[in-house]
Amino acid sequence: MEFKEVIGRRRSIRFFDPDRPVEREKIQVMLEAARLSSCAVNAHWLKAIVVQRDYLSDEMLEKLKTPVFNIQLDLAPVHIYLFADMSVVNKNEGARLKELVDVNALPPTHGWSHQFVDELVYPQILKPLTENPAYAAVAAADAGLAAGQMLLAGVDEGLGVGLNTPNPEHIHEVLGVPEEWMMIWVLLAGYPAESWDAGGQRPRPPFEEQFFEGEYGVPFERSEKVVDSLKKDKMIQKEAVPDDPERKAEIRALAERFGLPL
Amino acid sequence: MSSSFSLKIITEYETVNTWLAGLEKHWGGDPINDDPSRLPTLEEFCVTNAVDPDTIIKECKRTNKAGDPRISVKGRKKYSDLIDLFQGNSEGTKIEKAKRGNIVRSFLIHNAILLSPGAVKGDEK
Repeated sequence: MEFKEVIGRRRSIRFFDPDRPVEREKIQVMLEAARLSSCAVNAHWLKAIVVQRDYLSDEMLEKLKTPVFNIQLDLAPVHIYLFADMSVVNKNEGARLKELVDVNALPPTHGWSHQFVDELVYPQILKPLTENPAYAAVAAADAGLAAGQMLLAGVDEGLGVGLNTPNPEHIHEVLGVPEEWMMIWVLLAGYPAESWDAGGQRPRPPFEEQFFEGEYGVPFERSEKVVDSLKKDKMIQKEAVPDDPERKAEIRALAERFGLPL
Repeated sequence: MSSSFSLKIITEYETVNTWLAGLEKHWGGDPINDDPSRLPTLEEFCVTNAVDPDTIIKECKRTNKAGDPRISVKGRKKYSDLIDLFQGNSEGTKIEKAKRGNIVRSFLIHNAILLSPGAVKGDEK
């Protein structure tokens, strides 16, 4: 699938085929994609635990549910629990930045050296960052970037994917993860039981409300020519609309199939 | 079941009308006639538990100190458990039992009380 179409086809899938297993190779592809994501200071906060739903006991599965998030957990055959390891910066003490210096990704042309990392970057910037209240946002944003690549890789592999929030109260206990791992999301993966289109691309705020040019308040002008080109490349697709009879019929059929309320 | 308990005509309850209006707005059609088991099933649940529909919803809601409406965790849990019990005691296959529980869940959902059952999967039907 072409890159733009992968972006265009991604949906948050909420109905998975519970009985169709996911090939292990496809999960690895998703993990490899996450591993290669852009990452601030080469820290790699993201940690992930891949769980086959059927290996969770009923009791464990129940503990991971919340009132707004349970059907997807029941249906998705693969759960990838995503965390940010908050200890990683102080464990590495700048070592991973120095790896970037060594391979000239952070070259002296841009002011980088081992000495610079050891004397300034780690002790004066990174270490204090870990004590700053904003640190969690930095780690979460970074893990989010990796999760985004994981999602797109899953779509490219023909899977349905979606990010959700498991019950934070029990996550450490159920999965036995260290306390310093901060829960981010669970990425559910499986073959969709709903159509891949899932009713169409979700409604978005107007382009001009999100993107500006030069300064705040000046909308980035959206070229219709570019939009048309993206439609041709299937990045921009049919948008989901209210009261779509086909989508309603699909949801009714899924409710019937899985015993869900209307 | 309380022998002295009785309900008004079910459609006279405000929350039942909220439910039916919600169903009609979301799904279209005629919620009463499209699924004739809806109202009798809710009525049966109410009689079984000696509680009227408006009271169910009232027990599932509360107001916090700031005066903002909130879902009552205690009330929601109580009715979630009662629905599970009602469903479990119903006749039929798992899907048929789930349908009866889901009618009551739908009543709560359209009255802003989120409830969702686990999905019935292939080997459980």
